[in-house]
Amino acid sequence: MTPHRVMFWQIENVWIFYVLAGLATGLFLAGVVAYVTVWKKSSGSLEIPFSKEALKRMTLDVFLGRRVLQGDIAAGLMHLLIFWGFLSLFIGTSLLAIHHYIFTFLEGTAHLIFSFGLEVGGLMLLIGIIWALIRRYLQRVPRLERRLEDAVVPLWLLLAAFSGFILEGLRLTVEQPPWGVWSFVGWRLSGLFSPAGAECLYPYLWWGHTVLCLGFIAVIPYTKLFHIMGAPAGIYLQGASKPTVPAMEEDAGEFDLGDAIFFDGCMRCGRCVEACPSTGAGEPFAPRDFVQAMRQALWQEHFPLGDIRFMGRKEENKMDENLWYCTTCRACLEVCPVYGAAFEVVSKKRVLAVEEGTQIPKLMNQTLEKLFKYNNPWESSKRKRGAWADGLELIDLTKRGAEADLCYFAGCTTSFDDSAQVIARSFSKVLQIAGVNFGILGKKEPCCGDIARRVGELGLFEEQREGSEELFDKYGITEVATSSPHCFHTFKNEYPETSFRARHYTQILRALMADGKLRFKKGMEATVTYHDPCYLGRHNRIFDEPREIIRAIPGISLTEMNHYRADSLCCGGGGGRMWQDLQGEVKMSEVRIREAEATGAEILITACPLCLIMLEDARKAVGLKEPFRVMDLNELVLQALIKLKIEY
Amino acid sequence: MTEIRIIVCAKQIPDPEAPLSDVSVDAEKMEVIVDAPQVISPFDENALEAAVRLKEEGGGKISVLSLGKKVSDTVLRKTLAAGADELILLEDDNFENLDSHSTAAALAGAIRKIGEYDLVLTGRQAGDWDSGQVGLILGEMLTVPCINLARDISVEDGSVVVKKSVPEGYERVKAQMPALITVSNEVGELRYISRTKMLKMMRGARSIPSWSAEDLGVAPEALQKMGITALSSPPDMGRDCQVIEGSPDEQAEKLAAVFQGLR
Repeated sequence: MTPHRVMFWQIENVWIFYVLAGLATGLFLAGVVAYVTVWKKSSGSLEIPFSKEALKRMTLDVFLGRRVLQGDIAAGLMHLLIFWGFLSLFIGTSLLAIHHYIFTFLEGTAHLIFSFGLEVGGLMLLIGIIWALIRRYLQRVPRLERRLEDAVVPLWLLLAAFSGFILEGLRLTVEQPPWGVWSFVGWRLSGLFSPAGAECLYPYLWWGHTVLCLGFIAVIPYTKLFHIMGAPAGIYLQGASKPTVPAMEEDAGEFDLGDAIFFDGCMRCGRCVEACPSTGAGEPFAPRDFVQAMRQALWQEHFPLGDIRFMGRKEENKMDENLWYCTTCRACLEVCPVYGAAFEVVSKKRVLAVEEGTQIPKLMNQTLEKLFKYNNPWESSKRKRGAWADGLELIDLTKRGAEADLCYFAGCTTSFDDSAQVIARSFSKVLQIAGVNFGILGKKEPCCGDIARRVGELGLFEEQREGSEELFDKYGITEVATSSPHCFHTFKNEYPETSFRARHYTQILRALMADGKLRFKKGMEATVTYHDPCYLGRHNRIFDEPREIIRAIPGISLTEMNHYRADSLCCGGGGGRMWQDLQGEVKMSEVRIREAEATGAEILITACPLCLIMLEDARKAVGLKEPFRVMDLNELVLQALIKLKIEY
Repeated sequence: MTEIRIIVCAKQIPDPEAPLSDVSVDAEKMEVIVDAPQVISPFDENALEAAVRLKEEGGGKISVLSLGKKVSDTVLRKTLAAGADELILLEDDNFENLDSHSTAAALAGAIRKIGEYDLVLTGRQAGDWDSGQVGLILGEMLTVPCINLARDISVEDGSVVVKKSVPEGYERVKAQMPALITVSNEVGELRYISRTKMLKMMRGARSIPSWSAEDLGVAPEALQKMGITALSSPPDMGRDCQVIEGSPDEQAEKLAAVFQGLR
């Protein structure tokens, strides 16, 4: 007798099964239609651009679980077990249906391999789910929530898988087929039952198992299980849609298809909560909660019956206030399995808040007024811009006939803040020593628009962008070096087309080093640590240049903090936070300065005026005394160069 | 309740929060020169915010008056973007540098010309000279009840109820309308007007009426200029920061010595 499986063994009234299956499929499809309706209503269009790379990335991420493995191997393995277990059982059941209805092929060796494969799949699923439950309820991993559906969903799946194995055991007890050992789990279990009892119990359990499995399919769109479809869709769309250049369009603050699918693909894994520096400092903002609130708001607005997730709960509606805590540091996007940019969603909501006008925190309201009136956020006089350059004898590119190879764009904060001016002065001296022919824009230097953009004042951003572009055009500037990663990012990524190339000073220094124009000699001996500014590192992937420069200085040794490179913490100054007085339990900058202190380094190096100010203030606030210092990279470089000059 | 008619008086001044480096004093010409953008006086913005909120709650119409020798509609159009229905500029060469009494007289002329109104709101004082007189004199000239230093305004059938700031807290004062109220900053800042909104308001083909002294029925001879008897530059505010080093005991000793030296 060839190995095979008897279909609907011991089951009567099989038609009921077909009715139930039809019902489950119907519920499932109705749910999916509801999603598509909401997506269409909230974003206006369902247009999906085709992208081969995005498709490839989605496939790899989904089947290899790369994004879930990243940064949390335990979670990744657990997810892989559930994913592959579930998938192999799903494929197995589909094959069985083909075998039964279309053409018979699961016989003989094929059946044995099939049986063995399903055993492995079922076992993986069981282990994965038990592991998941342990992580959430025994190990109590902090980033995981414990809502009702977080228990119901895995228990449901656990029961379905477990009842499947018992069912198989009962069947094998009665049938005792010679090939039974291939179903190794069921075969083991079969010893536990008496043949008569098994035969009697089997149909009841079969119907139970069937209801569980069909119900599971039906419930997918109505629980967080929807991520099975939402997550791949989200991953694809995040990769396929072109980054939008913000403009003063009517729909600037509206959500698009990518946002809507991101909200529905989010399954509250909480990686963003763990990574968010704002949450970490005990502030009331958490990316996951924000995204969930946005999701619920979309459903309430666009679906007649409200939120489709029946085990959901009312999300907190303090988002209008919490909106302003985000520093747009991008840490959430680094870890999000579906590449959801919660900080971009925050920016969009800010656009709406700015248009509306009454929900803006007082200090931010004043900052925006100043930003417009004085073209800088510091309420400083235009006449004082460029004052940092007094005595340095720099070329003013706005003067008649002035020309230079490079335009150094100091930026508002570096120009006006007493403690940040050191960046401009030391960078200029470094350029002079390296023999670079460069100039500045003096009093005419504009604001790049970073703050307006981050805070959602897109009209002002547009004006500032146009003003800057005109100025660069007028003076024929083609090469720009910035002190601030924020200006650099804005020029590089948010000015649609520019006649100039913008680089951050770390890139310039690195290039000068490669050309042999910066030669360091052994100066001071010190251990330093480096703080990655968000808009240099995470946003623009410049992690290596500053480190290469630091390592090239003799006598300086670099040690890293707990959080570094893409995992770096935020100083708390970006996204307009520098000009607000929102409070958490601690300051982000103080969390960071403690990390720097813990490395045992004497100097904390950074490469951004906002970071420099925030971290230096934090150093004073927590009372870290000399010799611990906060320095800009330019200061360190200049010290090493001046030594060189003296030694000559 | 019938919709109320509110008149807000808004003065255009150089930004009172301008950095000190933009402010200079010409002692000979008796002039304070402020090289800063023109803005609406902050307390007048508070008054406008109070008006807009009243309109949002119970409906109504807001007219904004702004008086001066030359008033910039690019500055004052902000009031329209914020929710005012009408902006009237009171411009006349004779309106330059008026004293409080004459300013109130000119404003009273404009308000009489408008005719019907329920509330006149002004800032508690102007952000440039901080006299705080025009509002109250205006109330007197219009012969309407007058409440100053409002921190909260509500309207209840024909009356206005105002929480008025006093040193120990606030008083709740009720008056028949029409009434004049001077508004304090506790009311809240004027809502933010986005640049997009502002630009739309600028581009809008909206003619802003301008009334002269003659239109208001104010005789130029009746207008008094503000006279300054003396004006001098502020003393040099240069700071000399000295850091005292040493152990706490040594620091205390040195600090005490510094104080003794100053005596």
